[in-house]
Amino acid sequence: MFELPVTTIEGPEIFVIEFGDIVNYFTVYTAALFTFALLFTILVIISRPERQVDIAFGGDAFYTKDVTPAQMKFQRFMALACGLATLGAMMSGDVFNFTLFTSMVGITNIGIVAAYKYKHVLNAAFQYGIVAMIATVPLFGSAAIILATTGTLSMWELFGSTIAVPLIAKIFLVLGVMGEGMAPFYVAKAEITRAPGAPYVLMIHVSSLLLFLRVVEIVISM
Amino acid sequence: MIDYLIFGTIIGLLFHGIHRKVIARIQGRPGPPIWQEILHTLKFSFKQTWIPKTASQTLFVWVVLVAIGIWSAALIVLVTEGSILLLFGIYMLHKIVEHGMGLSSGSPYGKFGAIRSVMSAASELPLFATVGAIYLFTGSLLLTDILAWQSAHGPLLIFAFPAAVALYVVILSKMHYSPFAIIESKEIVSGNMTEHFGVWRAGLEVAFALKTYVLLFAFVLLFLGPLPLWLVLAVMLLLLLSLSFICAFCPMLSPYDTVTMQSLTMGIVAVYIVIVGVILA
Repeated sequence: MFELPVTTIEGPEIFVIEFGDIVNYFTVYTAALFTFALLFTILVIISRPERQVDIAFGGDAFYTKDVTPAQMKFQRFMALACGLATLGAMMSGDVFNFTLFTSMVGITNIGIVAAYKYKHVLNAAFQYGIVAMIATVPLFGSAAIILATTGTLSMWELFGSTIAVPLIAKIFLVLGVMGEGMAPFYVAKAEITRAPGAPYVLMIHVSSLLLFLRVVEIVISM
Repeated sequence: MIDYLIFGTIIGLLFHGIHRKVIARIQGRPGPPIWQEILHTLKFSFKQTWIPKTASQTLFVWVVLVAIGIWSAALIVLVTEGSILLLFGIYMLHKIVEHGMGLSSGSPYGKFGAIRSVMSAASELPLFATVGAIYLFTGSLLLTDILAWQSAHGPLLIFAFPAAVALYVVILSKMHYSPFAIIESKEIVSGNMTEHFGVWRAGLEVAFALKTYVLLFAFVLLFLGPLPLWLVLAVMLLLLLSLSFICAFCPMLSPYDTVTMQSLTMGIVAVYIVIVGVILA
């Protein structure tokens, strides 16, 4: 039976599913994050986008943007995939699985932004894509370094006091997660709010913050 | 637990009223009575309410419930002496509420508030530094252990003063009329809250009251240790008065200055952590 070696950081474990040496688990902390991700994934399914009102500068005019069904379908699909990837990252007990889910969040985030065919938003999506792609190097690099130095990727083992994870691997892991969705790589984030589809665009923010919260827990526990 | 939530909400609303009163008196105005925010909340609860035609209706309502939910959860974490990492998480999730609140209505003012909320993500960084510094001293992030450590060694305010300053900046960032409150500044009407009125605004007032109560309560528990309830409330009030003084005297910063100030705070605490945790360890 899996027993979380460190309980002074995220509280006691609640639930464990073992797949060989890959152990998915919930603690009080990860269960709370998972619940939050689930809430917003359901929100993506049940809500419709807003119609943004834009002001035409230099006059009193304003206009509302419409969202076409095709665009909404694609954004919703990407947001849903993003939600599922986030859910996976929240309960993963394996560093490699965590990095895979993180990169999937990065990919789907690009999809959510790129759905809107507007010059500035597409530029933002392009820049965001470059950052996310570059970030995969430290992200998967950290998993490789951890495996090479410790012989395991299971958090079950890595959280124990007998295994020392190199500091550089922890730094790479944080950098990788930041690049996949977090500040300071906000080149796209201010721009994406030009795009209508608040429930879907919000999923970018939800996934980024939850990933960051999860990686903080992982890095401190290792 | 419901009694804690009601108590926290009432005290939080009262604190908001005191905050407004102190700012007004410093600025030479009579100001509203200190129970004004309680009256506001009651008033909003019974006012006519609807959802703007342009809004994403589900999200528009959902964020209000999420705001109340996360800050109720935060209070429960404090009362049950759980992990402060969870508290840190909830604080960061509040950013999603701010963002969602602004975007959901479709209003340009709400949108500007939401964009400013994204830009001011730096306000979360000092809290991260605080959590790191506390872990460095106590070796645990469970509030039970942190309180026990302070009972044995003395208040963390003495041992980790820069971390206390960082948390103070975090609380200041989230106060109404704060120099960092760029997401609700008046040049964009009420920012991300512009379109939430009636019962939605009442719900947000309740959530924000809980937030103020939780953050001040957390500061006292994390840096002064276990104290009797009356003393906790007295220290929270003193903290609030100091925050009100700053809010009364400081003009609203520009969004970029806000980020710079918060990042600087984070940087100073990060250097402090490196010195204490790596060089002196």
